[in-house]
Amino acid sequence: MNLLDKLQILADSAKYDVSCSSSGSNRSNRPGGIGNASLPGICHSWSDDGRCISLLKILFTNVCIYDCKYCVNRSSNDIRRASFTPDELCELTIQFYRRNYIEGLFLSSAVVKSPDYTMELMIRTLKKLRHEYRFNGYIHIKSIPGADMRLVYEAGLLADRMSINIELPSAAGLKLLAPQKEPVAILKPMDFIRERIEESRELVLYKGSQSFVPAGQTTQLIVGATRDSDLKILHLSEHLYSRYQLKRVYYSAYVPVNEDENLPSVHTGPPLLREHRIYQADWLLRFYGFKAHELLDEGHPNFDAHLDPKCDWALRHLDQFPVEINKAPLEMLMRVPGIGHRMASRIVRARRVGPLTFEDLKRMRVVLKRARYFITCNGRYYGGVDLDAGLLYPLLADKADKKVMAGQISLFG
Amino acid sequence: MIRMIYVTDGSFEGILTAVFEAYSNKEEPDTITLGSDYQLSLGTEIREIATDAEKSDRVWRGIQSRISEKCLEDLYRAYLSEHPQAGLYIYRYVRLGLKLGRKVEGYLQHPDVQAIHDLSRRVASEVHLFLGLLRFRRLKNGIFYACYEPDSNITQLIAGHFAARLSDQPWIIHDKKRDVLALYNGVEVVFATGLPPIAEEACDEEYEALWKQYFKAIAIESRRNPKLQRSFMPARYWKNLAEKQL
Repeated sequence: MNLLDKLQILADSAKYDVSCSSSGSNRSNRPGGIGNASLPGICHSWSDDGRCISLLKILFTNVCIYDCKYCVNRSSNDIRRASFTPDELCELTIQFYRRNYIEGLFLSSAVVKSPDYTMELMIRTLKKLRHEYRFNGYIHIKSIPGADMRLVYEAGLLADRMSINIELPSAAGLKLLAPQKEPVAILKPMDFIRERIEESRELVLYKGSQSFVPAGQTTQLIVGATRDSDLKILHLSEHLYSRYQLKRVYYSAYVPVNEDENLPSVHTGPPLLREHRIYQADWLLRFYGFKAHELLDEGHPNFDAHLDPKCDWALRHLDQFPVEINKAPLEMLMRVPGIGHRMASRIVRARRVGPLTFEDLKRMRVVLKRARYFITCNGRYYGGVDLDAGLLYPLLADKADKKVMAGQISLFG
Repeated sequence: MIRMIYVTDGSFEGILTAVFEAYSNKEEPDTITLGSDYQLSLGTEIREIATDAEKSDRVWRGIQSRISEKCLEDLYRAYLSEHPQAGLYIYRYVRLGLKLGRKVEGYLQHPDVQAIHDLSRRVASEVHLFLGLLRFRRLKNGIFYACYEPDSNITQLIAGHFAARLSDQPWIIHDKKRDVLALYNGVEVVFATGLPPIAEEACDEEYEALWKQYFKAIAIESRRNPKLQRSFMPARYWKNLAEKQL
């Protein structure tokens, strides 16, 4: 099989992994070496689905011993199979990198023979890339559930970022759809990686020793393959961020690839809007100081399809509005629908010089379409309607779903 | 009322000289041109500004000491945008900055500050975009050649990144719109204007084919979203992207 065919098969099999981020690391180049890592990350292209291409996202092999029901590479599927050699993969990465196609490599794999055997193949590739090809660019490696911790550690010394996919939001879902994978095989290495990262941060400060996964670990879970609610997913994410110190949780709207009685039919489309709402909520958890229980609860376990989660929250907490633009603390400004993190900081900066008028906000490009109903400027309200959830809902709801879809994946980093 | 036009040679030093002249003439120019290409109309008065290293230096140092280093960077980036009013915006920002000092940067509600911030940000985001979108091809002689057509004159702002990253390969970055070149020989970057000293021959088909294959395979068909793709990667940049050529 030629390289073009292998690339086609193994990129095609890797495409359902969401993360393509190359951020969080700032390794510099060495004399005689090639590449470095840029802290904010760099996107190199955007594919036809609008997702950013930053890394060469590829499987080492799609030959798999597992038969997970949701996965396109499950062993019982009749598809073309291929494997790279470590040298082929190194050469491809380096040659793509020299042409500035990519920021680095995101190496994942199906499980061939055993988790340890697979992990060893991947490590051999990374070693070659780092030591023989002297590559200093970004590497993200997927840790194979069930692999020995010694191997996880070895991989972590070579990579910038590691991830282990949670896959399904509940243990019950995992049991139903991926009976060969156990929750403990996912959470144990996640905890192990967290400990090693913390340890290595301390060591690096003192000895300048080798860093371990400097860009942190991430995970991914599939939305819409099981019946888990948004509330359940959001609580899980919150737990993963605080307990395991994850950098990101990625969500992937389930694309039906296999027919199974326990899965949505292959004739249904991926739940893109739901994925979009969960991403918006995830942002609120990480950067806006929201807690999962503020956004959803048992009586309200799923997001409104027509409202973004912040609007949804604000309509249920109208007693906290309107807020005065010239007085409200940063944390409260960030809770105003339509005002983002960056805009809130700019408002705080600008009002130090002098009080802001509604016109000033417009000039500063604050998007007032939604915000106008929740703020006052020097005591004046510009919303034009009473602060009443029933009146505001139709003004804030997304009219056409089309618009939502167009902006939906813009949150991918 | 008579409109006053300052005509510069289009260099950053030329604009700073114009700022100096406005102060010493106690005038408020209505336009500061970037070069001699401007519209002459009734009721305008032209003042030719001869770029003067000493005068521009004085303005430069004045900004450094009385406003900030960061301000200089913002002004320079705004200048590289080549916006027709960039010269005037720079003048107005400096005028406000010399009055307010450092805190001018936080005065985001002021139109003169907003104008410079907008241009500076526009240039900075195009710089970041092209750190990713620039495409090199390996020529037969081993040189890696990249051509692109950016909106702003950003070649000098992106060259350093590639010198650090691709330090073991000779390369040329060519802004085809302006015929501005950055040439790297494995040791240092040299900037030049004109056409690159190489023939752009058909080459490197193997890796371009692999890259196109990858680009196609990585997209999820059921999530196709050309509008979103365009919003990140505007269509005007596509002609220099291998993956967007059929």
